[in-house]
Amino acid sequence: MLFPTLTFGLFFLCVYVLVWTVGSRDNEWRKILLLIASWIFYGAWDWRFVALLIGSALINWSLARAIASSGSTDDEHERDEDAPSGEKTQAYRRKMLVALGVAANLLILGFFKYYDFFLGEVAPLLTDVGFGRDLPLLQVVLPVGISFFTFQGMSYMIDVYRGRVRPASLLDITLLMSFFPHLVAGPIVRAAHLVPQFQKVPKLDRGMAAMALLLIIWGLFKKAVIASELATQFVDPVFFDPSAYGSGDLIFAAYGYAVQIYCDFSAYSDMAIGLAALLGYRFPRNFDQPYRAVSLQDFWRRWHISLSSWLRDYLYIGLGGNRGGILYICRNLMITMLLGGIWHGAKWTFLIWGGLHGLVLSLERIWREVKPWRWSLPRPIGLLITFHIVVLGWIFFRADSFDGALDYLSGIARWTGKATMITPLGLGLVLIGLAMHLGPPRLMPALAIRLRRVPAPVVGLLAGVAILLIDAMRFEGVAPFIYYQF
Amino acid sequence: MADHHEFESPVDLASGEPLGHPLRWTTAIIAITSLFLLATNAISLREWIDEQTPGPRQAQLAALAERWDAFTLSIGLGLPRAVLHREWKAAEAARFGHQPADQR
Repeated sequence: MLFPTLTFGLFFLCVYVLVWTVGSRDNEWRKILLLIASWIFYGAWDWRFVALLIGSALINWSLARAIASSGSTDDEHERDEDAPSGEKTQAYRRKMLVALGVAANLLILGFFKYYDFFLGEVAPLLTDVGFGRDLPLLQVVLPVGISFFTFQGMSYMIDVYRGRVRPASLLDITLLMSFFPHLVAGPIVRAAHLVPQFQKVPKLDRGMAAMALLLIIWGLFKKAVIASELATQFVDPVFFDPSAYGSGDLIFAAYGYAVQIYCDFSAYSDMAIGLAALLGYRFPRNFDQPYRAVSLQDFWRRWHISLSSWLRDYLYIGLGGNRGGILYICRNLMITMLLGGIWHGAKWTFLIWGGLHGLVLSLERIWREVKPWRWSLPRPIGLLITFHIVVLGWIFFRADSFDGALDYLSGIARWTGKATMITPLGLGLVLIGLAMHLGPPRLMPALAIRLRRVPAPVVGLLAGVAILLIDAMRFEGVAPFIYYQF
Repeated sequence: MADHHEFESPVDLASGEPLGHPLRWTTAIIAITSLFLLATNAISLREWIDEQTPGPRQAQLAALAERWDAFTLSIGLGLPRAVLHREWKAAEAARFGHQPADQR
């Protein structure tokens, strides 16, 4: 069930009516309704995945409870030599439980995402060393959004271990992981953000509703018009066979993909945030004009913020973060970005994408530490360099294989200048996608503040006209969001 | 232990004086938008019903949607969408001066 479809629109209308009528009488019933709706939404892909979702929630909920019931919520007793042995045992037990939970989550994720890839890579190595075998490839079907809900469940359990959140009820945790607006492509909403909201009766105010409607309509435009048009008309054909196109087309399609992936992914986040807000819940910001970034560090503060902050809090800091010397920091950055790359899927191209980002982040860090001169790059130059590093990364990210990415880059390097794909509309859409990053950062909230005072019939007609315009421009059919595959 | 961690959400706006009946206001907007689209975008409804699994009920609904689409077109309600779509298709087909129309 894709957001920009009539099927989803009708589904959401039913959920909206039920939640604000039947659900308004009792908060527990509201959550049960939302949970059932989320399972229907997820089950529309494959009902078996709902069982996986419930199983994952059960594992994280039960382990978090066991951790919480094992005494103190900090590691003091473990570190304290004089602590009573009972408390040391409890601390050890808690550590074992959280390790078990992390392992269980990673096993689930690893099996579905990396099992076949791993065997596919191991088989030729075994053959090379004389142990060639027919390994049991399972053609595992990847459950939509598994990376997102696994990360959410895992962070809840770790937060309980670290004493940052209290253990929540099974209903709250299952709903946290299943809540349909963020279920398949984020933002990664943490327990500390959403569970306290689940425990209260949600409230809607006009500003929140106005902003929600703007986000949904803006997201529809970005996905249905810009991302779909660029993907089908320009990006997909060029990336499918880069050797058939000249360097002008290859460069244009690379810029096109940079705009497409931004418009696709940020559209999903915008719509998710808007849909949740119409049900009374706040989600965190996930994008903040990322191509406005003047360094790669700045880029990661603006792109997929919920993932980058997750990786920072649960991986980078866990590895030591900014402690230790510059070499340790660079090592931590590289490991974090390589794992961030492989999080996207079992492909070498994702690993190279992560490696490129890790390398540039490390170089930026080294530059800040040992800067031989006092001057910094002018902002426009920093912006241009950062954008082009990001675009280079996107070529690996989008390419079907490592060889495909190299073909693509060598096609650009040959510089034939030939450009037959660029059309006035395509060029216009790419420019609009880039111009979105140059507008005032808080334009939409300013618009929502004005809109909340406008009578409902006027806003309803304006929204209707906007959706009609988008529907008239949309490409026939809706391609799944890029991040569904992750 | 702090359970509620403050975070920034795009739906947080600068607070102003509370405006009345937010749920009624939002519901009215959704209802008016839906009715507006039902009247001006009947073709999307028709196409969506055509895509559903064939069956007696689907056939009934498809016939109904077709009649509704024809009716909205006949009274001019479906016209803006049709014109816009035609213009969009023309924009899709447009090429720069040096490009032959069938190039790509």
